[in-house]
Amino acid sequence: MSDQVTPDLIIRAEQLTLRFGGVVSLRDVSFEMRRGEILAVIGPNGAGKTSLFNSVTGVYQPQEGSITFMARDAAPLSVIGKKAHQIAQAGVSRTFQASRLFSALSVFENIKIGAEDHRGIGLVGALVKGPRTRRGEHQSDEVVIDLLAFVGLKREANLIASQLSYGARRRLEIARALATGPEVILLDEPAAGTNPSEKLELAVLIRRVRDERGVSVLLIEHDMKLVMSLAERLYVLNFGSVIAEGSPTEVRANPVVIDAYLGSSHEETKA
Amino acid sequence: MTFFSLANLKRLFMILAVVAVIAVMTGTPGSSTASPTTGVHGSFLERVSWFGLFAAPRWLLFMTFGVIVWLGVSLYRPRARMIRRGIDTVLAFPKELTTKRSTRVALIVVALVVVILLPKFVHESFWMYLIVEQIGVWILLALGLNVVVGFAGLLDLGFAAFYAIGAYTTGWLTGALPTPALFHHPIPTLWVIPIGILAAMVFGVLLGTPTLRLRGDYLAIVTLGFALIIDDFVETQSGVTGGGVGSAAVPHPALNLGFWHFHWGITPTPYYYLCLVFIVIFIIVFTSLEHSRIGRAWVAIREDEVAAESVGINPLKYKVMAFTVGAASGGFGGVMSAGLVGIITPGLFTFQVSVNVLVLVIFGGMGSIWGVALGAIVIQTATSYLDNYQPWGYQINDLYMYIGALLIIMMIFRPAGLLPSRRRAREFAAAEGGEEIHTDEVLTGEQP
Repeated sequence: MSDQVTPDLIIRAEQLTLRFGGVVSLRDVSFEMRRGEILAVIGPNGAGKTSLFNSVTGVYQPQEGSITFMARDAAPLSVIGKKAHQIAQAGVSRTFQASRLFSALSVFENIKIGAEDHRGIGLVGALVKGPRTRRGEHQSDEVVIDLLAFVGLKREANLIASQLSYGARRRLEIARALATGPEVILLDEPAAGTNPSEKLELAVLIRRVRDERGVSVLLIEHDMKLVMSLAERLYVLNFGSVIAEGSPTEVRANPVVIDAYLGSSHEETKA
Repeated sequence: MTFFSLANLKRLFMILAVVAVIAVMTGTPGSSTASPTTGVHGSFLERVSWFGLFAAPRWLLFMTFGVIVWLGVSLYRPRARMIRRGIDTVLAFPKELTTKRSTRVALIVVALVVVILLPKFVHESFWMYLIVEQIGVWILLALGLNVVVGFAGLLDLGFAAFYAIGAYTTGWLTGALPTPALFHHPIPTLWVIPIGILAAMVFGVLLGTPTLRLRGDYLAIVTLGFALIIDDFVETQSGVTGGGVGSAAVPHPALNLGFWHFHWGITPTPYYYLCLVFIVIFIIVFTSLEHSRIGRAWVAIREDEVAAESVGINPLKYKVMAFTVGAASGGFGGVMSAGLVGIITPGLFTFQVSVNVLVLVIFGGMGSIWGVALGAIVIQTATSYLDNYQPWGYQINDLYMYIGALLIIMMIFRPAGLLPSRRRAREFAAAEGGEEIHTDEVLTGEQP
């Protein structure tokens, strides 16, 4: 294994294996993500997509393999063994499959919690409210206002998160994840449960996240139309292993992928 | 008419059952010497006089009472929506007033004037003493636990530990314990205040760092462990803590500025003001923390720890912070109580104390500083009154029975507490509506 880091990679995972007792959730999974690309991970239910996300964001600790995150101005970070909040601070942000907003807080507060720097804060600093604390407050307020406009939730700023429509919640989650100032954002089924018009809006938003903010996007999505229109490259997972990789057109034509998706009926036609 | 519908008759039956329980609760106690049925017999068959008007067996009185309640409920239910709307329109004006900043400030000023002038109205030193010991100190404890339970959402069943640490630090440093004071040089009680607060905070860090990695029920069990350990330690380590006897020699605080001496002595009023000053300080500190970055991080952790981590919040750090900050006012409560009473005994720091503080927080409204303070005032006043006057055949041992009943009623009709914090009230509403409740689906499975 070489320690040489290719300059245009942002995340490299090598031979990840994640087990829960006897159940193997990821088996020997390797993938590379380039800086500035929209990369998608697809696969049938239970293929290990969310497990992969949780491994990259430090929620799960794979037993074998390595994940390296290469931030622009920092030394490569070995993700395994790090805590979820450390990885988030390093610049890997995420959303969740089932939306996990702070539902009793306002839209503004939700984003603000993401925008705040949670590292250099002591009790005294929070209490005395000196110039440094006030400057921090001001900065995070500006980040929030900017992001509210970016995701189109300006008018909903003072609503409580649980009052939002499903599509708006999805956008709020993306805004909160962007508020941490990430270099890469992991979106776990961002369009789940949304209606077709909301789906379209989300696709536009995700592309803008990359184009306007320069944030690389790693995407899990079930909606094939959405994935094929958004992603530049795809990894296909099945039973915890990568079974295919390539551009949308390559993957669509790959017989292994068709097998995995259509399963038995396809085999029956063969037999 | 739906009066005799099955559902309504069922309700009558339920009400009568509850009334029967209340009759037993308030009736003649049984005793170990009398026949075991004395209690039940006395509760139902005893003839009691009603304000001297007429005498009737208790069961008749209670049943009449139950039927009246049932009639009231039956009449209310068809009109419930109308009545509730009427109440809402009546309450809309005062509600709007309290949300305005200027009226809030005015309310606070009025409250402050009242509490400052209170000793002028309470002439009996016995009651003044109770106000400091039973209300003031408990407000401090409740405010501290509110940071842990209300702000950060950590169920702490061992808060009395910090209370004990404050008190025993006072005993130790003033030379009132069998253990010699630090450097064999006792220091005045007043100077113990900052040290006692600091000691409690240090213990907050020491206890919190290893245990706050746990969540929910597991944390509650560990904190229960603290309570029992402290309870046992102060009881049995008589060489260190004075054991079951404790210490009866904590000097009263005194201030000596060279040109001006002040001795707190045995009259309660000076303690009242000392306590009041610190309650105000703690309220200011906790309020500004609640509205700071730290306060928001606490809310984030309380609402969804996984999501909080995903935006870079280190849950352990903020939980330890909540534990430490909460411990500060608990520690001061200990110093205050030791300085006032002059006596430290293990009986003051039992598990029951932890539970009682938790009751104040839940009753007043988790996460609401004013609610918790009000809750402490209401419950502690009621308790002190009941203990000292024992009206209507009340017995001290029955206290928790009534508090339990009160909490059950609260949880049904006002689950977010007496003066709920707005955020908390929303969380309760969301939980009631079945919204946004997710199982920890990303955290299932074993971790190596």
